[in-house]
Amino acid sequence: MGKARRPVQIIVLLCIVVLGAYAINSAVLGRGNDKPVVGSKPPAVKLLGLDGKVHTLDEYKGKAIVINFWATWCTYCVNEMPALQQQWEKWRDSGVVVLGINTGEDKMTVTNFTQQLGTDFPILFDTDNEAVRDYGVVPMPTTFFVDKKGKIASIQQGELNLKTLNEQIKQLVQTEG
Amino acid sequence: MALIENTKCECGHQNRVGTVLCESCGKPLDDRGDSKGLLEMRYDGVARRSQRVNPNFIDRIWNFFSSVKVAVYLIIFTLVGAMLGTIFEQESNFINFDPTTFYKDKYGQIGEIYYKLGLSHTYESWWFVLLLVMIGASLVICSLDRVLPLYKALSKQRIPKHMQFLTRQKVVYQGPLAEEGRDWVERAVKPLRKKGYRVHTEKSALLAEKQRFSRWGPYIIHIGLIVFLLAVLFRGLPGLHYDQHYWFPEGEKTKIPGTNLYLENEKFRVEYYSEDEMSEGFRKTGKVVAKLFETKAVLYECTANCDDPSKEPQLKEVQRHAIQVNDPLTYKGLRAYQFDFDLTPKLRSVQPVLVNQVTGEQYGKFKLEMNNPQQEFKLGPYTLELKNKFLDFSLNEQGQPISKSKDPNAPAFLFVVKGPDLPEEGSQFIYFPKQIDKERFQQDAINEKLGGLQNKLELDVQSMEDVDIIASSSYLNIRIDRAMPFVWLGLGIVMLGLIMSFYWQHRRIWLRIDEGILTLGAHTTKNWFGMRREVSSFLSAMGIEADEKSLENGGE
Repeated sequence: MGKARRPVQIIVLLCIVVLGAYAINSAVLGRGNDKPVVGSKPPAVKLLGLDGKVHTLDEYKGKAIVINFWATWCTYCVNEMPALQQQWEKWRDSGVVVLGINTGEDKMTVTNFTQQLGTDFPILFDTDNEAVRDYGVVPMPTTFFVDKKGKIASIQQGELNLKTLNEQIKQLVQTEG
Repeated sequence: MALIENTKCECGHQNRVGTVLCESCGKPLDDRGDSKGLLEMRYDGVARRSQRVNPNFIDRIWNFFSSVKVAVYLIIFTLVGAMLGTIFEQESNFINFDPTTFYKDKYGQIGEIYYKLGLSHTYESWWFVLLLVMIGASLVICSLDRVLPLYKALSKQRIPKHMQFLTRQKVVYQGPLAEEGRDWVERAVKPLRKKGYRVHTEKSALLAEKQRFSRWGPYIIHIGLIVFLLAVLFRGLPGLHYDQHYWFPEGEKTKIPGTNLYLENEKFRVEYYSEDEMSEGFRKTGKVVAKLFETKAVLYECTANCDDPSKEPQLKEVQRHAIQVNDPLTYKGLRAYQFDFDLTPKLRSVQPVLVNQVTGEQYGKFKLEMNNPQQEFKLGPYTLELKNKFLDFSLNEQGQPISKSKDPNAPAFLFVVKGPDLPEEGSQFIYFPKQIDKERFQQDAINEKLGGLQNKLELDVQSMEDVDIIASSSYLNIRIDRAMPFVWLGLGIVMLGLIMSFYWQHRRIWLRIDEGILTLGAHTTKNWFGMRREVSSFLSAMGIEADEKSLENGGE
């Protein structure tokens, strides 16, 4: 009787520890509504691009991604567009992708806007606000810096600091995946 | 004092450490037989599984959680913790707010301390969840530790019991018999069976027992509580829980993010209390209160092209309901509750005609949508190419046209018009569908500068039928709680256990006859009054008159 009990005890205790750790972990992390935080993986997206093709983040595996949520009616977003374009031109050959996610505007508005500003980094349409929800975007613009290992290195809510933007992207490039 | 307890009973049975009553004959092992106090009958006197001579590390953890005292403390701590969470409102009550300033602004210093201590999210804090997990561990280990030995003890009961086991029960009778022991025992079987007992005899000893299943009630309650706790703790698993608020503009099919469902707000209506429905005092406040607001909603499920944003999804109607407050639309665990509404009308589309101002000729009409408009219109000899649109028209500091928001508050459309008497590359023309904007932004003055078309051509909406308006938007709370069925299942099991252990009692009667003396002991899990009456009535059926009260064994 005594011999058979030991493994049962250990299994039951292990189950409690594993389930308990999982419950505590998910309760504490789940508090923020599963919004991505620094160090976590950026939520997957599947969105239509300005080029008419469907894009996902998997296409940019191994690259550093600067995900910028924007709209044409948001003045701060518009202000930082030229800087993002500049960084895109500078770093695109070093494995950096600047990704603009437009929140809820139509193709004509966005096309006109990008032509006017002369930006050519990839733009995706978040028509149903799915990415906005998954990324927990509240103010606009919001920018997620994803390193080459596919982890969020930093999150900038509101306007980008144009002085440190270059430095921020440089750091992303240095984390080799 | 001996280090190792001697657990061998005089009947020769080797008992385990922690045994109170010999597993075989029932002799009390706690003393040398000189005590006359009532017996400790919990778990039928068997040892709990975790009671060991030399407990090691695992045994100690096991013993900790097996203790009822620990369980009581855990429950008290959880209760106090849960109370702390009710002092101020919790963060989870709000949709959008900044907790870092909210508590300080509303409650001052205390509010800030409350927030800093993390009590603004008590029920999601690590220590609260840890307490729940520990209660869960205690439930599992307590049950395992007791139910298995108890089950074994009850399924192999010996019929003749030690004399002390009988005389130290709470209900006892002892008295002389005139007849032979075996005959008396045989005669006793019938009246006991009549009372619903299952009777076992061995020579001149007898065991009668009924409703043993009620002993499993508490453990069934524990199983129910474990199911309940698991459901609550794992509510946070992806896909099990969803609680979001979204706007649904009237007449649009809006995707519910994170699902493959679309909800159409067919018609929203709101009724207000009329003047004569209000009390005198309330009328003076000048407030208008909604009596009813209702969203006629249709739910669609996507059947094809759901995952491909480049294609139009195929939708199938799955549910239809008029949502009112506390009367949600429900579909496969999803509920859509009425939460708020916005009666600001928004333009969806206009259908103007092109008018040649010189000849008065009309061309059209054509449909101009606010979102995703068609980009080229052929109207008679003219071609209108839509070049740009500004839904909330304004001019920035540099004098360039911009849109202030994505809502069509002041829509403006910039066309390039080509046709007779116009330059080959076309002529620019701006159009404000709303009359008020035409005047406010001076459409004619802008067109004068753009290409001077204002005197030749005009876009004109001829009747209100050509204006499509989103009259209102309904704000719905979309909830999915797939853990709820498990919560109810858990509570159902708890209820079953409660009924089992409250409405039935496990009753046992032991008796033995030694040299013409009958000794009877009886035990029940509750309702001793009923037990005494049953024994008294049994004895009187056997021709022995014993007063109910005289059966009570006061101990010493």
